[in-house]
Amino acid sequence: MAQHELRSVISHNRAQGILTAFFVKLARFSAILGGFVLSALILLIVVSVAGRGLNTLMHELIAAGFLIGLARSLLEAGVGPVTGDFELVEAGVAFAIFAFLPLAQITGAHARVDVLSSRLPPAFNRTLDLAWDLLFAVVLVVIAWRLWGGMLGKMRYNETTMLLQFPVWWAYAVSLIGACVAAIVAAYVAMVRIVEIAAGRSILPSDQGAPG
Amino acid sequence: MSNFDIGLASFAVLMVAIFLRMPIGLAMFSVGFGGLYLINGDATFALARLKSETYSTFSSYSLSIIPMFLLMGQFATHGGMSQALFKAAQSWLGHLRGGVAMAAIGACAGFGAICGSSLATAATMGQVALPEMKRYGYSGGFSSATLAAGGTLGILIPPSVILVIYAILAEQNIAKLFLAALIPGILAAVGYMITVSIYVRLHPEAAGVRPRASTRQRLGALVPVLPVLVVFLVVVGGIYLGLFTPTEGAAVGAAATGLIAFFNGGLRGKVWLDSFYATAKSTAMIFFIVLGAAFYNGFLALTQVPQELAAWVVARAFNPWMVLALILSLYLVFGCLMDSLSMILLTIPIFFPIVSVLDFGMGPEDFAIWFGIIVLIVVEVGLITPPVGLNLFVINSMDRETPIARTYGAVMYFVGSDVLRVALLVLFPGISLVLVRLLY
Repeated sequence: MAQHELRSVISHNRAQGILTAFFVKLARFSAILGGFVLSALILLIVVSVAGRGLNTLMHELIAAGFLIGLARSLLEAGVGPVTGDFELVEAGVAFAIFAFLPLAQITGAHARVDVLSSRLPPAFNRTLDLAWDLLFAVVLVVIAWRLWGGMLGKMRYNETTMLLQFPVWWAYAVSLIGACVAAIVAAYVAMVRIVEIAAGRSILPSDQGAPG
Repeated sequence: MSNFDIGLASFAVLMVAIFLRMPIGLAMFSVGFGGLYLINGDATFALARLKSETYSTFSSYSLSIIPMFLLMGQFATHGGMSQALFKAAQSWLGHLRGGVAMAAIGACAGFGAICGSSLATAATMGQVALPEMKRYGYSGGFSSATLAAGGTLGILIPPSVILVIYAILAEQNIAKLFLAALIPGILAAVGYMITVSIYVRLHPEAAGVRPRASTRQRLGALVPVLPVLVVFLVVVGGIYLGLFTPTEGAAVGAAATGLIAFFNGGLRGKVWLDSFYATAKSTAMIFFIVLGAAFYNGFLALTQVPQELAAWVVARAFNPWMVLALILSLYLVFGCLMDSLSMILLTIPIFFPIVSVLDFGMGPEDFAIWFGIIVLIVVEVGLITPPVGLNLFVINSMDRETPIARTYGAVMYFVGSDVLRVALLVLFPGISLVLVRLLY
């Protein structure tokens, strides 16, 4: 191989390496963000459950005529379940799941049945993977696009949640960020599959997720 | 083509796509989308549905229990609880014939009580128990088989991710299903221990001997297990007693397990992030399948296929027990090829309407609970049946020295125990229903 050709291959690989590293980082960052939101929701629920329990206890204390002063002041201070915890969990968990999608995409964590393909030639499997990853990218782009449409609808009708009265489109908007990152990462993965077929080797790390 | 024909054909297309390595969630989503396109003549309807369907699937309060339980399982994995459980079980059972294997089963059962996933249970306990079994002269094939089987306890003993999905598909109460799974789960653990004891008597060379632990050692080993017990009692007890919803139970459990793991020094720096990554991957995978299934099943309902099939089964007046036996054998066969979650999401919307119109001599709710437990167990058998039992692969990947064929031979004993238990549960619905009747 001539010197300049070699150099171009190396720089090509390096660019690819940088790109892959960037998208892996992006997917991980997104997953961490989702993880923190999920953890926050867990804490929110714990606080709400504890508040509800305390609230019940204080009412019982008053009914029993025991420590009435303390019970009253605690109740007046607003000890009780968190208002609208249900709505926050719904909005937050939707964001978290959208934010989790990119990592599943780039690590190939989606469940599939390998029984037949393990007996087929690797080139055939690569082609299949390319086809499915291309389709996956298209589907995730469509999902993000429709989520955008759904968000516009919620904006138009000014829909708000029952208790906290925050606009439903806010929840759509944060989810849309995750959906867009997922679509971009999926498009990158599909592109890499094309390069993989051309180069005849694997570029992305792959591992199966843990179903059930 | 009539809509009914499109519905039937879609199933064939779906199966082909899945066996061509198409990710299962993507396959259900795409075939559902294509089907809606065909019966409507254009994509307007499918695209309109998508405006809210993805968001509403991902923002479901009852499904939010899944990422919380997965995170809890991750915390449990990194929190040193698996070691504590195994040590305790070993000090009580280790000296028996096959005792270290029994201890592994017992520890899996304990771990299953705070983890809702089979693969995670198998993987976590495998790391702890495999080296010990090797140390006391247990054969590689038998050790792997024991842990693969023990792993299925992760999902049988509540909390269980699969039961959450089933509850939503069959519109049943999650708390009641968790309650119903308790006795069958314990039965499974006991059955596996008996299997171990039979196996080591038939193959004495497969197991070594471990000295008996002193009473002081035994009692001492119990102390580190206490937090696990407390978390289980609070979470599952609280859900059973109606103190909180299953989602709240999952949140309390995840918070408590995270706290324990933190104080055990298991959640330092990168481990915390690894927990997030693992949770992210499993959650995204599960929810994409749930989304695909929701989309596909929505399409299927429009084609009337499930309703017509149910009507057909009723009109032909088949023997209900024959139909049940047929469905269960189908699950056994497909379980050898597909993961349990995908299988449940794919089949329950079709099978449940069929079986729920048949008369098994019990009320509709009792039936739904009983059927759910049996299906749960049957699909889990698939995790340990060759050639593609996922648990077998997880364990095998940890012990490279043991050829998987060795494991296949030993695991058939555990499959036998599973089949026996399914027969018991089918013949005596009371085993699953007694606790539900007692508490509700």
